[in-house]
Amino acid sequence: MLDIREGVSSFSILVKLHFLPNSKRDRWLNVLLDQSEVYFPQILESQVHWQRLQAGGLREGDGGPEWGLEHIRASEPIKSFFFSPRERVASFPEKLEPGETGRRILFGVKNCDLLPLKVHEQMFLQGDFKDTFYEARLRNTLFIAADCPEPADTCFCNLVGRRPFAEAEADIVLTVLEDGYLLEPLSDEGEESVRTGGDAIQPATEFQAAKRAEKRRAADSKLAKINPKPWADGLAQRIWDRSGEDGFWGKHAASCVECFGCLMTCPTCYCFLLYDKARAEGMDRSKVWDACYMAAYARVGGGANPRSEFLKRFVNRFQCKFTHFKNAHGFYACSGCGRCYRACMGKIDIRDVLGEV
Amino acid sequence: MTNPWLPVPVRVDRITIENEARDLKTFELSFVNDADRKAFSFIPGQFGFISLSGVGEAPFGIASAPHEERVRYTVKKAGVFTAALHEIDEGAVVGMRGPYGNWYPFDLMKGRDVVIVSGGFSFTTLRSTIVHMLGPELRKDFGRLTVIYGARSPGELMYKDELRAWEKSPDIELTLCVDCLDGECWPLTEGLVPNVLKQLAPDSGNAVALVCGPPIMIRFTHPVLKELGFPPDRVFLSLENRMKCGIGKCGRCNIGEKYVCKDGPVFSYEQLLSLPADY
Repeated sequence: MLDIREGVSSFSILVKLHFLPNSKRDRWLNVLLDQSEVYFPQILESQVHWQRLQAGGLREGDGGPEWGLEHIRASEPIKSFFFSPRERVASFPEKLEPGETGRRILFGVKNCDLLPLKVHEQMFLQGDFKDTFYEARLRNTLFIAADCPEPADTCFCNLVGRRPFAEAEADIVLTVLEDGYLLEPLSDEGEESVRTGGDAIQPATEFQAAKRAEKRRAADSKLAKINPKPWADGLAQRIWDRSGEDGFWGKHAASCVECFGCLMTCPTCYCFLLYDKARAEGMDRSKVWDACYMAAYARVGGGANPRSEFLKRFVNRFQCKFTHFKNAHGFYACSGCGRCYRACMGKIDIRDVLGEV
Repeated sequence: MTNPWLPVPVRVDRITIENEARDLKTFELSFVNDADRKAFSFIPGQFGFISLSGVGEAPFGIASAPHEERVRYTVKKAGVFTAALHEIDEGAVVGMRGPYGNWYPFDLMKGRDVVIVSGGFSFTTLRSTIVHMLGPELRKDFGRLTVIYGARSPGELMYKDELRAWEKSPDIELTLCVDCLDGECWPLTEGLVPNVLKQLAPDSGNAVALVCGPPIMIRFTHPVLKELGFPPDRVFLSLENRMKCGIGKCGRCNIGEKYVCKDGPVFSYEQLLSLPADY
């Protein structure tokens, strides 16, 4: 292992870098596959999707899967692994407890998909009650992040204060180089996992480290070109202050067809409902993704609805992510992944709203 | 590891119809399992969920006091779930989760006068509060207890036997008001809750006000309390927003950055002034 002092801004930090040559990649993946279910970003019809890696499916080309490690985030957010669109969480009369989830590796997570884990930790694992089902699914997961050298024009992680590569929050961060992969363990589990590569994984050279720094700088500047203007200070407060201005919000909401695509693809959205279904004897209770744009979302039994007009629900979504969550937890519940804009049939760009507010 | 989504079984021991319109029923519940009974302790103001197998569940304020034997909820028939709940018979076993949420500010109320202002069927957690405060060991902890409770008509007042007993009690100054007397003559005042409050003008000097009622009553009660000199940090309301989980996870009951289920349901008027009026 090589300890390298890497210049970052005006100070230098000590990083531990390893190198996995292309020729030995599958050796390491086979070790990982022996211990875990491995999921990787596969390019399918020019979109990236999470796929389970099969032992026989490692070879690229010649009918093997096309890896999307350098592509932007997958279409589906990784929350589906831990907070599934529908999950049975209780039953009666027999008891249902969270099952043990086997070890899983998410190989190639983007930095924008790591932030939602922090959001969900606040929601599901903090406070007086824990969502034991979420906890059980999250446990035993190893996160291998991959740098994002080609941000798309829908990406805006730089506007929410993040960068196109992970510096924490994952177990290992990986950078694709021409002849292999640079690996930087960020946790003990990550270190251990790199060790399992044995002599397939070598110490990195200063040259390789410099390459990574160069690629990262290039990605930063691409993002800066895509989103040159940072949001003005006090965004949280300004959304709050303007929440009653129907003209402003109405202009941006005008093309919304209430399809809820933005919410269903959002990696940070955490709303769910509990749905009970009777069986011949007893019942099942499921947690099902919900969307705050639904008209009946806040309607109570007697019919009263504090957000019966769509515009109020539209404003509430912005307040939820950029005002309330920020005030409560210190960061936006938005990772800048751009899925909401990609999904939007009305072409509402969240950046237009936030840039103008 | 406990499953936060799993209700515990409770038996419906007694069902009482509370009003003339017959759309308010009180359900008195006892735990099927002793361990669940032992684990259940609450403070007035908190709420719980009742669930019916396969129909769903809904949150309701707990109407019984902690020292009472059975857990009691009074439920108005308003939507799909409550309509189904109104159909069940005594002896049925239903599910319950809770208690959840915060409670009325008993620490703040200690040593002070307490003014309770309520209208309609939201009197439930305040009944819990009153029965709790009237308990032999607790009553001395509080000053004067003034209660104004109103309904549209005499037949809509809940817990009538208790109201009649309280009217005779030296420990509580109870004023019952109805929009229209309807020929009834027991000590009832004709008039709307905010107007009756204004006439009674309880001393605000060292008092805490607890307010629960329909939005229109709340809207007209606030200016009166203000006029009487109650500061916003000594006026408390209990809110009822749509909930699913009850434990601050599902995101549904937010008012601004607060979740009614875990940061409430009891809020001071001062807190509410800084939140959007989504209630």
